[in-house]
Amino acid sequence: MTVVLPTSAPPAAEPALHELARAPRRRGRVLRVPRWLRALSGPALLIALWWLASATGVLNPQLFPPPAAVAATAARLAADGELQTHVGASVWRVLQGTAYGVLGGGAVAVLAGLSRVGADVIDSTMQVAKAVPNFALTPLLIMWMGIDEGPKVLLIALGVGIAIYINTYSAIRGVDAQLVEAATTLGVGRAAMVLHVILPGALPGFLVGLRLALSSAWLSLIFAETINTTEGIGFLMARAQTLLQFDLSVLVLLLYAVIGLLSYALVRFLERRLLGWRRGFEGA
Amino acid sequence: MSTAAIDVRGVRRRFGARAVLDGLDLTVAPDEFVAMLGHSGSGKSTLLRALAGLDPDVEGSLRIRPRRSVVFQQPRLLPWKRVLANVTFGLGGPRPRERALAALAEVGLTGHARAWPVTLSGGEAQRVALARALVREPDVLLLDEPFGALDALTRLRMHVLLRDLCARHRPAVLFVTHDVDEALLLADRVVVLRDGRISLDRTVELPAPRRRTDTAFAALRTALLRELGVPEEIVEVTA
Repeated sequence: MTVVLPTSAPPAAEPALHELARAPRRRGRVLRVPRWLRALSGPALLIALWWLASATGVLNPQLFPPPAAVAATAARLAADGELQTHVGASVWRVLQGTAYGVLGGGAVAVLAGLSRVGADVIDSTMQVAKAVPNFALTPLLIMWMGIDEGPKVLLIALGVGIAIYINTYSAIRGVDAQLVEAATTLGVGRAAMVLHVILPGALPGFLVGLRLALSSAWLSLIFAETINTTEGIGFLMARAQTLLQFDLSVLVLLLYAVIGLLSYALVRFLERRLLGWRRGFEGA
Repeated sequence: MSTAAIDVRGVRRRFGARAVLDGLDLTVAPDEFVAMLGHSGSGKSTLLRALAGLDPDVEGSLRIRPRRSVVFQQPRLLPWKRVLANVTFGLGGPRPRERALAALAEVGLTGHARAWPVTLSGGEAQRVALARALVREPDVLLLDEPFGALDALTRLRMHVLLRDLCARHRPAVLFVTHDVDEALLLADRVVVLRDGRISLDRTVELPAPRRRTDTAFAALRTALLRELGVPEEIVEVTA
């Protein structure tokens, strides 16, 4: 006897298997271009678009000069040494402020990070300091220190110091307690504990702080250079504004952009050098 | 004047209202290998941490020979130091580098001296931790479930390695584990920690080499599992 099954539903087809392993793909041509060159292609594209917009008249050359005009201005300023003087003055201010800020912020973070009492006293103070925009201090700094380099460098140092402090302090507090215990059982003294366990453990956080600190430093610089000065990128910017020099204004923007990129590259370089152990990088 | 390497009398440790160690006594002779079994939460690690000098809040009398080394469940290597520097870290005495290299050779990792810890497998990292402990030539070796995080095959090899190393260096060993077989394979004496005290203390007299399949081994295992409160039907399955 045969049983007739209802045939309305056809037997479900078995799902086909998917091949997950594919033949290894050859690296695309784009990926064979060195990384730094690929990284520059974005900015290069922006400049190309700028040039195109200028050439087709989309951008009014009076209000937003074409790349060639800006380059000519840069060349003229470089030829008489003015560009170097101003950029040099600004870089020097940032370097000094960053150095003081890193040393100060770092030292305070270590003090607060290593002792409970230090943390209670210092951390709340630093949180208050963080809440005050340091640019609001500009008038006070000028009244206290005059209009020389002092307030400019200090303004930068304050921003840097706070960025370094916040990140380094939390990194010290976040150091793996298990490693500290293990080191204790190895009979390691206090100094070696700080030097070999706690500070290296806090280094990644410190470098995050440094990255933020550098962007804060260049931001502070713009404010700092509004204080009476005859040198620096900020001075160039002020002069361009007063004299309605659009080419100079655009050049200043470009300078800030390039400097920002270089700062970022510096921190990346430090991270690669100092944090090689994270990926087991054997060193070049 | 006692000749013990570890001498613990009436040790008590409270966490809030709960006494994890409650009047515990334990003596370990020099060159004796004692395995301590117990449930998780029974206070095994608490006792070991106290003996390692990591617990300031323990009460009672804990005396231990000062030259002691600890191996934890996790290797706890400093990731920013290469393997060799991890072994020499905090190491005093003459020629630390040579001694560290010798210790690495003992655990079969000479070739990894310049490696970063992050590149090691779990078993390799734990062998580095063993080398770091042994290079200090400890009188007492404190082991807190040192193979607990390793896979079964790596564990077997680590058992052999640990047995050989202890036979050569002859430290007093307190080996905390929850693995009854591991305890019976390695230890001269097994103690069970229960309700804050030693509830069972048994010398392991098994013919060498020890085999899990021996009847004496199985009988001892059954006794220990019962003491640990493992339900009877499960004890029968493992026997």
